[in-house]
Amino acid sequence: MDLVQMQKSLQDYTKSLFLEGILDSQFLQLQQLQDESNPDFVSQVVTLFFQDSDRILNDLSLSLDQQVVDFKKVDPHVHQLKGSSSSIGAQRVKNACVVFRSFCEQQNVEACHRCLQQVKQEYYLVKNRLETLFKLEQQIVASGGMIPPVELGF
Amino acid sequence: MRGDSFSMSIENIPDSPMVSRKKKMKIRKVFDKMTQWVTPWRSNLESPREMMILRGDVEQDEFQYASSHCLSSYYSVFVVRLAIMVMLAILIGLLTVLTWHFTRIYTKQSLKTLAYGLRYELLQRPVLRMWSVVNTTSELTTAQVKLSEYVIKKSDKPTTQEELVEMYQAMKDVTWALFASAKALNAITINYRNGFVQAFHRDPASSSTFYIFSDLKNYSINGIGPEDVSGWNNQSIHGNMSAIWYQQQLDPVTGDKLGKPLKIPPDDLINIAGISQVPDGEASWHVTVSKYMDSPLLSAALPVFDASNKSIVAVVGVTTALYSVGQLMRDLVDVHGGHIYLTSQEGYLLATSTNGPLLKNTTNGPKLMKAIDSEEWVIRAGAQWLEKTYGSKRPQEVHAENVKLGDQRYYIDSFYLNLKRLPIRGVVIIPRKFIMGKVDERAFKTLIILISASVCIFFIGCVCILILTNGVSKEMKLRAELIRQLDARRRAEASSNYKSQFLANMSHELRTPMAAVIGLLDILISDDCLSNEQYATVTQIRKCSTALLRLLNNILDLSKVESGKLVLEEAEFDLGRELEGLVDMFSVQCINQNVETVLDLSDDMPALVRGDSARLVQIFANLISNSIKFTTTGHIILRGWCENINSLHDEMSLTVDRKKPWAPMKTKLVQHRNHLQKCCKNANKMVLWFEVDDTGCGIDPSKWDSVFESFEQADPSTTRTHGGTGLGLCIVRNLVNKMGGEIKVVQKNGLGTLMRLYLILSTPETADQNIQPDFSKYGLVVLLSMYGSTARMITSKWLRTHGIATVEASDWNELTQIIRDLLEMGSRDNSFDSQNNIADSLRAELSNIKEIKNPVFVIVVDIGVLDLTTDIWKEQLNYLDRFSNKAKFAWLLKHDTSNIVKTELRRKGHVMMVNKPLYKAKMIQILEAVIKNRKRCSGLRNRGNWNSDDSSETSGEKHIDKSVQPSTLHSPVLKNYLIDATNSNDDSTSASMTQKNPEEEDWKDRLYSGIALDGKNLKSLEGIRILLAEDTPVLQRVATIMLEKMGATVTAVWDGQQAVDSLNYKSINAQDPTEEHKSSEEETANNSINPQSSLRNSSPYDLILMDCQMPKMDGYEATKAIRRAEIGTEQHIPIVALTAHAMSSDEAKCLEVGMDAYLTKPIDRNLMVSTILSLTKPSSA
Repeated sequence: MDLVQMQKSLQDYTKSLFLEGILDSQFLQLQQLQDESNPDFVSQVVTLFFQDSDRILNDLSLSLDQQVVDFKKVDPHVHQLKGSSSSIGAQRVKNACVVFRSFCEQQNVEACHRCLQQVKQEYYLVKNRLETLFKLEQQIVASGGMIPPVELGF
Repeated sequence: MRGDSFSMSIENIPDSPMVSRKKKMKIRKVFDKMTQWVTPWRSNLESPREMMILRGDVEQDEFQYASSHCLSSYYSVFVVRLAIMVMLAILIGLLTVLTWHFTRIYTKQSLKTLAYGLRYELLQRPVLRMWSVVNTTSELTTAQVKLSEYVIKKSDKPTTQEELVEMYQAMKDVTWALFASAKALNAITINYRNGFVQAFHRDPASSSTFYIFSDLKNYSINGIGPEDVSGWNNQSIHGNMSAIWYQQQLDPVTGDKLGKPLKIPPDDLINIAGISQVPDGEASWHVTVSKYMDSPLLSAALPVFDASNKSIVAVVGVTTALYSVGQLMRDLVDVHGGHIYLTSQEGYLLATSTNGPLLKNTTNGPKLMKAIDSEEWVIRAGAQWLEKTYGSKRPQEVHAENVKLGDQRYYIDSFYLNLKRLPIRGVVIIPRKFIMGKVDERAFKTLIILISASVCIFFIGCVCILILTNGVSKEMKLRAELIRQLDARRRAEASSNYKSQFLANMSHELRTPMAAVIGLLDILISDDCLSNEQYATVTQIRKCSTALLRLLNNILDLSKVESGKLVLEEAEFDLGRELEGLVDMFSVQCINQNVETVLDLSDDMPALVRGDSARLVQIFANLISNSIKFTTTGHIILRGWCENINSLHDEMSLTVDRKKPWAPMKTKLVQHRNHLQKCCKNANKMVLWFEVDDTGCGIDPSKWDSVFESFEQADPSTTRTHGGTGLGLCIVRNLVNKMGGEIKVVQKNGLGTLMRLYLILSTPETADQNIQPDFSKYGLVVLLSMYGSTARMITSKWLRTHGIATVEASDWNELTQIIRDLLEMGSRDNSFDSQNNIADSLRAELSNIKEIKNPVFVIVVDIGVLDLTTDIWKEQLNYLDRFSNKAKFAWLLKHDTSNIVKTELRRKGHVMMVNKPLYKAKMIQILEAVIKNRKRCSGLRNRGNWNSDDSSETSGEKHIDKSVQPSTLHSPVLKNYLIDATNSNDDSTSASMTQKNPEEEDWKDRLYSGIALDGKNLKSLEGIRILLAEDTPVLQRVATIMLEKMGATVTAVWDGQQAVDSLNYKSINAQDPTEEHKSSEEETANNSINPQSSLRNSSPYDLILMDCQMPKMDGYEATKAIRRAEIGTEQHIPIVALTAHAMSSDEAKCLEVGMDAYLTKPIDRNLMVSTILSLTKPSSA
């Protein structure tokens, strides 16, 4: 009973992630790629994403705090972050990155700062949510259950 | 134009409707007036303004811009006009002044010279007269003196009274003689030393002559002596009261005494020259007055010396009146006008031209008058002016013009006549009017006329300029208008560009979620645990999504074409096969609607052409799908024929005759051809003509042109009934134009639409095309039993042209009759029966066929001829089976023909089955199979794959043997059209995709053009070695897993530099066996790959996936480096770009640096698979 409830809550939680637009179909594709040969592929990728993004955000903060902001440095970072976030399906991070890049092109420092905050916010949001998701999954796995397949409910 | 915006803002103020409307109108009017006043040319702007209002507020600022532009141009016109007018005014003014000046100055100059001469002459005459008067006086005086001297000498020293009297009498006689001879003389006086005076005098008033003498008694002889000279003075004459004066009148002519001498008082005496007047013994001159004369007198005095010349014995005085000079001057003035006067040096008037008195009466008798005191006003004023101007230092000659005396202007000229002891000045005063009056008047008139004339000319000129510049400014305005219109058009085009750009971007954004949907559906389809209904539904959704994606792609295509970014690829492809595939595909849709899809390509069509196959297929797919949409019954024919571009001209006339409406296009084509011939003479260009002919509802002729516009549909209700966006035909036209062709709707007999288009494609040089097998020698007889009349007619026509006897049958009854007629020749009854029913023409044909020796019968039976609704078809099959030893049966199946039928056919040994529609290539294959079969022993007939062998041998094309080749490496389109009956399954209802045989997968591949993803595709990249260059760890991981799941061997590197390095390293160590085939899942597959990899083991990877943006070395640079390294070798590693931009320009850049394809992030699995396969397959095939 407990297990079933857990599975249901996991499903609901996953659904809510999609409904809120935090994740998109790309994440589903990732999950599709996970199988017996790569049992924790998704969490691997996501962890990679977290490491990568932490580094990028750090770099971005440093670059933007410079007296003279070198947009030629900032832009590739944002581009990279956009690529990686879109690859794991972190849609809102990606969208924030798109806005960020447009301001980078305008060389608008102030707006870039705002965008960085926005990106960070989205990033921490998706990070929190995904960590919660993985925790739930681990709980289910720990209690010997199966991770239910994701519904196409968005 | 501020008024406009203001009035607009006023309109926005909410108010009660009626009142506000009236107010608005008023305000509007006021503003209109204001703006009209400010901008009088506004009326010209009305029409563009209306237009602009339609366009909305984006054009507002343009409007403002335009009007300000207009304003400035108006000002410039205005200024130019003004300048021209001013210049004209200056010119005319100058001309006038010059004319006036020259006419006036020259006249004036000449007149002045003349006037000067006149004045000089005028003065000269009185002066001369004066001179002569003075001369006469002088001569007479001298004569008198000489005579006196003579007389006195003769009576030297009279001592007695008698002698003295005698002498005096002699003197009197002599003097009288002289006096009488000189009539002009006024008086001659002789004043002797002793005081005796003798004088003759003429009184002009009474014209009488007098002799005046003093009383002799008082004078002594002694009185005469030199010592008494000092006592001799004038006083003595007048003061000598003791002397008694007598006056005796004489006869003026004879000198005889008239009457007695009268005593006169000394006051009445005339001027008698005394010794005082000759103090130095020289002659003296002076002007005197006498009370008898009203004019001054000129008197000269000379002394008379005695014999010894030592003492003066007497003084002789001669007086001449200057009256005659004045008379002359008056005469002169009468003729010429003006005034003349002569003065002495002191300024006393001697003579004037007037009648005014020259003397003034004082208490002491008359005295000389100064000129400035003259009673004559002109003379006084002139003298005053001279006095004032020159004062005492008066020059010898004065010539003054324009001297203002009173209110008139005068010429004043003064001459100086230097007579000894009596210098004289002459002054001429002539009113200017007399000389220059006419000239001045004329000049004034001329000036007036000139000024009025120039003013007239000026005004006329201004009007001309106005008219002229008005024309110019109108033209300028028109030009400005034109420029503005062009500008507006440019803007409109730009905005339309923005629109398509926006559409493109939007559709690009939309594609991403669509790809996700499709991807997810693919995942779902590949799920094994779906029920049949679910599977069907998902498949349906899949189709719909694909359609939606296609629509988005259409929009993208359109904007690509419109923005000129579409680049057609140049690759060889089999045109016929592409079209056959297309028709196969659409026939599936058509069959549901009772519509035949027929492909009718002429035999001379080139098999291989160079071009963009995908775009070509897109053209026809759009056209055919369009036709299908509007056609409910009948047929859709895709006709194709070919013209060599060089022979085009010869065929022109024929074509024009046949197809009149096509003529303009033809001529254009000829032009195009000429152009083409010029630019590429060597290229083997072909003009391929196509027609898509349907029997649908047709298009109204008025819409024939507009249907090719975007979002344009012939009938607005089309969207409701048929759907669609109206983009299809627009894309078609754009693509056709891009391929150097043209498309048009053409008049058609009967119902429906006929689209005709031509394309100019090049054909490969080495093409050994059009190898048509010769069937005529085999004695083939084909019985076509198809219910679709169009396809049957076209097929039979084609067969007949190739020398194959053909019989047509449209339904079961006909078929049986013909079969019986042909095959049951032995039975007379049947033939009699048939002859009753069969039409005459058919009978003739049948009899012809019967003539053929040893015929080979091929009976092509449409499965639709059988009655499939009930079980009758089995009976029919059994019936036909009776003839199977005499004839070959080929079956035309529909795609939805049930499995039971197929099984039954197979059971009966009918192996030749093709899917509808039947077209040339399929027919050829059937015929070849039959011929082959006939040649061989009949024992080979039952072999399962006989047909594929046949086709591979006869057609001479490379054919992939299914039993040998692994399914994953199939070429996408198979030549084999025949359905292998042994393995047939029902396509549409089959739930388990894994059970499908390769052929059906191929079939399905063809149908869905590679979109369908089944379980097999999961391993579709089996054995392919991929180098992945990607710097983002997440992406790298995802892509790696994705690829590995599909069986590929992936090596991941972090940047472009590593990619290049690893490639070099690998190529050095290419023989290293450990690098190959890490995936050990499918050993068999690896085995099949091995030969290929050994062939290509010089390159360590089959494909490179390259991210574009990477640190150190980006994808473009890396690609360039790799391509550089490949120069000189035969290698070409396919490189696929991974880019996040996904704009067409990126694609262009990717392709430019040498990449082969590109994928957008996030990676779509299907797209990636198909791209990779398409790039790796050709080398393996």
